[in-house]
Amino acid sequence: MMVPLEDFLAAAVRTATPLAFAALGECVTERSGVINIGLEGSIICGALAATIVAGGVGVTGGFAAGAAAGLIVTLIFALFTVYLRADQIITGTAITLLSLGFTGLVYKAFYGATGVGLTIPTIGAVDIPLLSNIPLLGRALFSQPVVTYALYAIVPIMTWWFWRTHTGLALRAVGESPDAALAAGVRPRLVQLLAVLFGGAFAGIAGATLVLAQSGTFVENMSAGKGFIAIAIVVLGRWTPLGVTGAALLFGGASALQYLFQSLGWSNVPYQLFLALPYVLTLVVLARASGRSAAPAALARRKLTLG
Amino acid sequence: MSQYKAMNAFQALLSGHAVSRRAAARALAAITALAALTACGGDKPEAAPAMSEFRVALLTPGPISDQAWNGGAYDGLMAIRDSLGAKVSHIQTKTPAEFEENFRQYGAQGYDMVVGHGFEFQDAALRVAPAYPNTVFVCTSGNATAPNLAGMNFAFEEASYQAGMIAGALTKSGIIGAIGGTELPPVRASFVAFERGAKFTNPNVTVLISYLGTWDDVNAGKEQALAQIARGADIVFQNADAAGLGILAAAREKNVLAFGANSNQNKIAPDHILGSIVIDWPRALLQVAREVQSGEFKSTVYQFGLRANVVKLVLNPKLASRIPANLKARVDSVGDAIREGRFHEMDDVLRPADKLPDTTRP
Repeated sequence: MMVPLEDFLAAAVRTATPLAFAALGECVTERSGVINIGLEGSIICGALAATIVAGGVGVTGGFAAGAAAGLIVTLIFALFTVYLRADQIITGTAITLLSLGFTGLVYKAFYGATGVGLTIPTIGAVDIPLLSNIPLLGRALFSQPVVTYALYAIVPIMTWWFWRTHTGLALRAVGESPDAALAAGVRPRLVQLLAVLFGGAFAGIAGATLVLAQSGTFVENMSAGKGFIAIAIVVLGRWTPLGVTGAALLFGGASALQYLFQSLGWSNVPYQLFLALPYVLTLVVLARASGRSAAPAALARRKLTLG
Repeated sequence: MSQYKAMNAFQALLSGHAVSRRAAARALAAITALAALTACGGDKPEAAPAMSEFRVALLTPGPISDQAWNGGAYDGLMAIRDSLGAKVSHIQTKTPAEFEENFRQYGAQGYDMVVGHGFEFQDAALRVAPAYPNTVFVCTSGNATAPNLAGMNFAFEEASYQAGMIAGALTKSGIIGAIGGTELPPVRASFVAFERGAKFTNPNVTVLISYLGTWDDVNAGKEQALAQIARGADIVFQNADAAGLGILAAAREKNVLAFGANSNQNKIAPDHILGSIVIDWPRALLQVAREVQSGEFKSTVYQFGLRANVVKLVLNPKLASRIPANLKARVDSVGDAIREGRFHEMDDVLRPADKLPDTTRP
């Protein structure tokens, strides 16, 4: 029996791409000491905004609209958590619930109560000459939509930013010790606001990717928990861009493995075992990797500074 | 009571469906009627009997924009509103924990008929029904009954068998796929029928069966379909509601053939969908609603299949030329056998209540 390995690897990278975007954004947010559980809301709003705008203005406009929608949703979150210092978990949960309902409402306002089974133009995969011909890995890594290639640039830039720049240091300082940051002349609230908005925009891009680079359609609730998975991926990746991307790839790979196993037709194995695979695998890795905690020390703290 | 209404309004707000507008309209109507009564000193007796109006509610497990299972039932609800003049209400449930609560809401408000749309609602309906004896609870794909609880069974497997016959005969690779949301008994029965139909016309065919574990995740639907296509499947049959739109997108992208389900999906991918296994929701739901309205409700499992003309395989006219005449004749003859009760290929899979002949129409 032929096992389509190349297709499996391509599916792994495809599935990982939106997760990596959402998780990289959340990584920046958490580095500033804020945990945004409302990521799911930014993803679904990004997906819907991308859907609506791409139909009229085109795919690039769709991605911009997705990022903008994700950012606007987190603006509400930031208002409550960064400025009013409300509980981050409760606020984030409320934002998620609100967004899932709100997108359903807007979708119906645009496309009628029973929808239309939208078909939206998607950006196709672009082959990178030579590299895409590498056996096995070539198609998986170098025959993907442009958004995936964007990640290849974002990860090293973000790593450099975190560890080699003043603003990166300020970001991490606020997440570790807001008091120390304040004493050093950093404005913790401003840093948190910007970090939260950055995460929202990236989650919006993740939502736009789901529609414009993959499914080519919008369905209510289509975020399907990806925001929460992204939050787990940040933990798994230990708050570093490279680690987060690796964790996203691991989860994407486990999902693709699940699709592959089911398509092999082993009908005597309960399908629920395959469906659990990505989560079991993540748990195992998380258990093995848990040594010294790498979480920002001030994560989810309500009282920002002593002053 | 008031907190139920508040809950209702809150949920409607959250899930953003048309209920809120209808609820508001109903409240407005009630206030207007009351104002009219006081203003005219009660000389308009026909304005009062708001209590006797026929009210029907629908709970769907997913969004009604799925162009399939949920959207079809909503069409049925609209048919009840338009044909029977009923006041209707719809809630999209978020989690199974809400099934019972939503049933109770409508029971407490004295609705005449509440439809839980899917087998997954059955346990909640069984628990709630005794508390609201004046409300009729109906469970689609259900097979249990109580004095005020009926099931509606759709013999989806009958048309699935016919679709399988076509898929088996037309596949070039000898591999076809079926993808479901979760493995509910009717979905499983439909896939078994699809496989047996395919083996009937092509004994060597391989049928891949996958489940997504979700009815919403359209990207998972597409990836699962791509995985089956990568394995060589050249015809995929989807029964995954909203997530199924991703399966149809994969068929379009990879240029393979597909079958749609639950509503007529032929137009979603007109160059790739051979046909849809359609349930005529308005016809089925209207029949039950009429019986409830006229007081002729029977505590039974209503049977709707090919014979009742509720379940049917609707072929896509654009791809009709792909199906040779002799294959079409074989498919039609199986349809005749089903309608005449001479078809027993699925007897070992079906639940006892599902084997009963179709409910005859009034």
